[in-house]
Amino acid sequence: MTSRQTLPSGQIVFDPRGAVAATEIRLAPRPETLRGVRLGVLDNSKWNASKLLRHAAAALDGFEPAAVNRYVKDSFSREAGDALLDRLAAENDVVVTAIGD
Amino acid sequence: MSTAQTASPQAAETVDLVEWYFRQGWTDGLPVVPPTPESVESMVAALGGDPDRVETRVPPRWGSLTREVLAVNLVLAGCRPAYAPLVRAAMLALCSPHFNLHGVQATTHMAAPLLVVNGPVRTEIGMNAGANVFGSGNRANATIGRAVRLMLLNVGGAQPGDLDKSTLGHPGKYTFCIAENEEASPWAPYHVERGYRPDDSTVFCIAAEGPHSVTNHVADDPEGVLDSIVSAMSTIAHNNAVSSGACAVVIGPEHAATIAARGWTRADVRRYLWSHTDNTWDDVSFGDRYGRVYNRNLPRWYRRRPGARIPIVPDPDDIHLFVAGGEAGRFSAFLPGWGHMTSPVLRALDGRAGGGRAPCVDGTCEL
Repeated sequence: MTSRQTLPSGQIVFDPRGAVAATEIRLAPRPETLRGVRLGVLDNSKWNASKLLRHAAAALDGFEPAAVNRYVKDSFSREAGDALLDRLAAENDVVVTAIGD
Repeated sequence: MSTAQTASPQAAETVDLVEWYFRQGWTDGLPVVPPTPESVESMVAALGGDPDRVETRVPPRWGSLTREVLAVNLVLAGCRPAYAPLVRAAMLALCSPHFNLHGVQATTHMAAPLLVVNGPVRTEIGMNAGANVFGSGNRANATIGRAVRLMLLNVGGAQPGDLDKSTLGHPGKYTFCIAENEEASPWAPYHVERGYRPDDSTVFCIAAEGPHSVTNHVADDPEGVLDSIVSAMSTIAHNNAVSSGACAVVIGPEHAATIAARGWTRADVRRYLWSHTDNTWDDVSFGDRYGRVYNRNLPRWYRRRPGARIPIVPDPDDIHLFVAGGEAGRFSAFLPGWGHMTSPVLRALDGRAGGGRAPCVDGTCEL
């Protein structure tokens, strides 16, 4: 791999960005209904995001989920830990979260 | 990744390469030094050869920082090959998980990574630790910080308004790199206190706001000088007040001499500053004027009740103390950090772990 290119003028230039080596991960299929699902509510611990999430979760309650499970991230900026991600996946069919400053 | 193309028989008009790099969006807004095969090769050699070796990946774009890409950015920034190992160490430190560069790059806060260099490399490459230390005028300080910024932009993808969501940013997002003035300091160098040898060269990184000047031309004792720094720290305006974390304090040599003349150590200074900042729970909760506040971004063990003192950072060791600046002038500086979302990191240029208490993984120590 080289970042080097030659322009039509013969001048040599270099791409400073570096390649992105990533594998595509597909989104989970969208649920057809929220009725009867196990709903996870993930609070990222921010003041305004938390307010938004409270209202969103209240609105979703009208769809009669089978359960509403609440979680809090240790840090709004850092990635959720593996243990929390595993619990979210195991205990829920749908998870909602909110970000907001 | 493009492959080399052959020049057409009718040679096209020569391109102004400085303008060409601007058109690609591969600059920090200032003209860059167009790399040549020779300058890139010299820089790769200074990194140990092997141009395709991936040193790290830079978030949030997660571009692969190969030695060649590192070299290209070093040349673009105007660095000399002698700076290359220091810049590499800084990038490795910044990309360690503790630092959470992803968050630092993307936040709406203004924080930028500040580098503070210790050890012999400072003098070997001619860094400025003296007058105007945070300012302009020194090639090593300026271009090392600039090279890091170019990689955060180019490889990390932190383009303003796109992946960098900072509301305001600050001037340190062009370059933000100083050296400790070990020669003018009455204390052991920062990295020695952290378990490294004096002849180790290290780079410390913290996500920080710009420096806030602390003036005190009157006090002839440690308490007086430090009370002025306490005053700068005791405000609810900065992130540490509401999001905890770590901060930096840079003591000017005259202030340091006054403090040390009474036998005060670095630890004494940190403890005094930590003990006497006087934010209260009422300050940081706005007296519950906007609703009942708990503030989950502050440590659990803080008392959340009227009148309770709220420390600026959880522990005196979260105040990272350096001596820097010119020999004349009774000034110091306070640099608030971003918050608990990031941990400062320290790394030796050769990747050797320090002997201090901080845990070190793959050569980078979490502070």
